[in-house]
Amino acid sequence: MDVSMLQRTYTDLLTSLFREGILNQQFIELQQLQDENNPGFVNEVVSLFFEDAGRLITELISNFNQQAVDYKKVDAYVHQLKGSSASIGAEKIRSVCQTFREYYDKNDIQGCYNCIQPLKQEFMTFKSKLEALFALEQQIVAAGGSIPMMRH
Amino acid sequence: MASSQVVKALIVDDNAMIRRIHMTMLFRFGFEITEVEDGKKAIDQFLDGNEYDLVLMDKEMPNMDGVEATRTLRGMGISTKIVAITTDSNSMGAFLDAGADEFILKPLNFPALADILKGFNFLN
Repeated sequence: MDVSMLQRTYTDLLTSLFREGILNQQFIELQQLQDENNPGFVNEVVSLFFEDAGRLITELISNFNQQAVDYKKVDAYVHQLKGSSASIGAEKIRSVCQTFREYYDKNDIQGCYNCIQPLKQEFMTFKSKLEALFALEQQIVAAGGSIPMMRH
Repeated sequence: MASSQVVKALIVDDNAMIRRIHMTMLFRFGFEITEVEDGKKAIDQFLDGNEYDLVLMDKEMPNMDGVEATRTLRGMGISTKIVAITTDSNSMGAFLDAGADEFILKPLNFPALADILKGFNFLN
């Protein structure tokens, strides 16, 4: 695939991530912090998010599988995940965390529980889409092209 | 201001990703950055004789949270500018009562940070 085709594919994928509500404006903020002095910044930050969010979701699921669920601990994990996802522009993940906290504040345990599977699903979708995006970036750079910037 | 012309900032947050993002933003302004992962380590920085012009303080952290760290710093007579940065909108009152100079909700964006720094006269 030539560079312009790769760049078009990249732009289409990135546009679709915003259109589907998977990413929000905060992601563009991060892209704008990346420059020649900091070329791998977005990739690095997203990789840190994958690690952190993956760990938190594993802890959440593990806690919900206990006989006596420690909801205070669960809420703390979701609070952390909400902060991380908001900081990286992972809008759908942030939104599910927000919904969870609203249920928690109303002591709606079933509502809380019903958020866990969607949270896991949104994280897996986010991870696979961002990995595809970064793979395209690598191909563009390897082909001698530059990464198109999104204006939002 | 701390003894050199370079603005010295301390980032206090238990999340490595968020510290990285905030550090990158502050580097754009040419600041000198130190990062720690909880409120107790932030206090220790000052107890060790380090001086900072600016502290970016998260709220929820192990060992010592941001409100308590802010209160402790003010109790020590530290007049460094403290900006509380958190997702917890309900903590604004607690942070300001503890002595924070500014309160902003996460996620932090570059223009909002620039406005705060201008307000503190950290930018030429």
